Amino acid sequence: MAFEVKMPKLGTTMTEGTIIRWLKKEGDKVEKGEPLLEIQTDKVNLEEECPESGILRKIFFSEGQVVPVGEIIAVITKEGEEYYAEAADEKINKIKASPAAKRVARENNVDLKEITPTGPEGRIVEKDVLNYIEKIRATPVAKKIAEEKGIELSKIIKQEGERITKEDVLEKLKESQTFEERVKKIPLSGPRKIIAEKMKTSKQEAPHFYLTLSVDMTNVIKLRESLSEKIEKINGVKLSLNDILIKAAARALREFPIVNSSLEEGYIVYKEDVNIGLAVALDEGLVVPVIRNADKKGLSEISKESFELINKARSGKLLPDDYQGGTFTISNLGMFGIEEFKAVINLPESAILAVGKIIKTPVVEEDDEIKIKPIMKLTLSCDHRIIDGVVGAKFLSRVKEILENPLEMLL
Amino acid sequence: MAEKLYIEALREGLREEMLRDERVFLIGEDIGIYGGAFGVTKGLVQEFGEERVIDTPISEQAITGIGVGAALCGLRPVVEIMFSDFTTLAMEQLVNQGAKIRYMFGGKAKVPMVLRTPMGSGTGAAAQHSQSFPAVFAHFPGLKVVMPSTPYDVKGLIKAAIRDDNPVVFFEHKLLYRVKGEVPEGDYVLPLGKADVKRKGKDITIVAGSIMVIRAMEAAKELEKEGIDVEIIDPMTLKPLDMETIIKSIKRTGRVLIVEDDPKSFGWGAEVAAGIIESEAFDYLDAPVKRLAGKDIPIPYNPNLERHAVPQVEDIVKAVKEILR
Repeated sequence: MAFEVKMPKLGTTMTEGTIIRWLKKEGDKVEKGEPLLEIQTDKVNLEEECPESGILRKIFFSEGQVVPVGEIIAVITKEGEEYYAEAADEKINKIKASPAAKRVARENNVDLKEITPTGPEGRIVEKDVLNYIEKIRATPVAKKIAEEKGIELSKIIKQEGERITKEDVLEKLKESQTFEERVKKIPLSGPRKIIAEKMKTSKQEAPHFYLTLSVDMTNVIKLRESLSEKIEKINGVKLSLNDILIKAAARALREFPIVNSSLEEGYIVYKEDVNIGLAVALDEGLVVPVIRNADKKGLSEISKESFELINKARSGKLLPDDYQGGTFTISNLGMFGIEEFKAVINLPESAILAVGKIIKTPVVEEDDEIKIKPIMKLTLSCDHRIIDGVVGAKFLSRVKEILENPLEMLL
Repeated sequence: MAEKLYIEALREGLREEMLRDERVFLIGEDIGIYGGAFGVTKGLVQEFGEERVIDTPISEQAITGIGVGAALCGLRPVVEIMFSDFTTLAMEQLVNQGAKIRYMFGGKAKVPMVLRTPMGSGTGAAAQHSQSFPAVFAHFPGLKVVMPSTPYDVKGLIKAAIRDDNPVVFFEHKLLYRVKGEVPEGDYVLPLGKADVKRKGKDITIVAGSIMVIRAMEAAKELEKEGIDVEIIDPMTLKPLDMETIIKSIKRTGRVLIVEDDPKSFGWGAEVAAGIIESEAFDYLDAPVKRLAGKDIPIPYNPNLERHAVPQVEDIVKAVKEILR
């Protein structure tokens, strides 16, 4: 029969020993009484004798390992005796714990590997688990989440006396997850899905090119200042920069019908009406309410209409009539500090105007004087299928001209 | 409440049943004028006459056979076998006849008899007069097995056994006869198949039967001095066994020691241990189930050896400490 060599108890206070050196190796013939290994206790180094003669079949712990008293450290068999090392390996790896300890550990999501056994023969008993849990203090929410997600609270290290919170558990959860798992998935639906579809189609179908220029906004600012109060008196709405941009673009579009056209099923469709869409950002996505016949409307009317449309958009009350039938779109990110950007054309329209922030900029004048001027950058995205570079350039220059001489809007 | 000896409480139970029901009669060796080998039936022949307290020749098979027959005919016999060792001679009548008839006749016949018998070592009576057989009879379907440990229990349980319609084997440990305890006056019946918590505790459950209850109680007193709080459960009826009470207790204490007077191998302690492990109490065990039982040897005549053949108070104390180590 195989003889199990156990970690001896070499003193009353000894609970574990360190294996310093094996004096025999697996397969060696050993004699009862000859030195087998050196063990270090908390106090001394001792040589342990072979308790049985035979063949040293299996050594379970290598040099330097700390082993609890009573644990099997080696097996000696008689010569020629069969010995199943695998089964013994399994036995050694199994954590000894009482059923009660296992149950309490299971109920509290505690890993038995973390627990120091105090029971007889190195067995983890219920008290060991309870003591261990006692040390782990967690808020009820933290405990609940930990249980749901299978997180071991014992793995979360806190300062002495501090409680494990929900945040600690979630943090731990993140650590244990892979990059692919640390995500939140929401099905693409509603307005987002429509935007995604439209933007993809636009970039796939319409070859975009971009034109950028700077506009001196001095006169627009003046115009706004002088009209603002009056317009507010008429309709109770403040005149915005966008209103002036809408008016200027509409004015220019009248002169460049191709920019106010669209490509539809093999036809270039020139639109009689100039309907300007204004991109409005909402939490759930982008909407583009449309100011109809902006070219025929005064600033007061435009400002009132755009104010109302923006409000409707923000409260989700836009009707299809409010956002359908646009012929050109303006997108302004100036209020977010964006200096210039390139917008994606809102098909079937053929161009879109991206508006940057008005920035005080040193400008070299005709007479080589440097002046500080409020400069705003405009970028026009054009669908090259129907608008050529020169046409686009002329149109954008015309918008610039109108903005720099806003009286032209009256023409 | 009056303190009485176990033997007095038992006699009182028998007498009250004989007064209550005229079909009840006693039969056995030397139970009449002599009053029984241990004096259980002392005075009963004078009160009830030789028709109801019948002395017999020495033939356990015949006595038991008469009991089975009388029971089948509608009487309620209480058979005394002088030493439980001699029940081996009554096996055929008790096991093959008494235990089987009700089943084989589809419930149309019944055997309402009690077989009373003193058991156990500790009296210097050697190997043929000291054995404890509860586990042997608990093995046979058709028999009930009772082994009361206190004067109160023995009175209540002998009445229950007499009133039961099945053959009941009733074991009385010889050393218990002189044990004193409180016994209420008048009629009371304890149910068969119900264990009793003899002592409440939280650290360990001791399941002990018969004389071992007394030893476990003494051990508990000593252990209490060291802060160990022992719960003691007396199954009282070995068959049918009340596992529920045992399981409930272990779920609280997480540890169990089973103490029995019978030899250890294939004993009732093994049955209790297996029942625990098979039950939901398994998940509450915080230490291996441990048994203390008689050694697997014939009971020695030498008093020192005899003492060591079965668990004593100090063995129980030691075993509890080992489990709680």
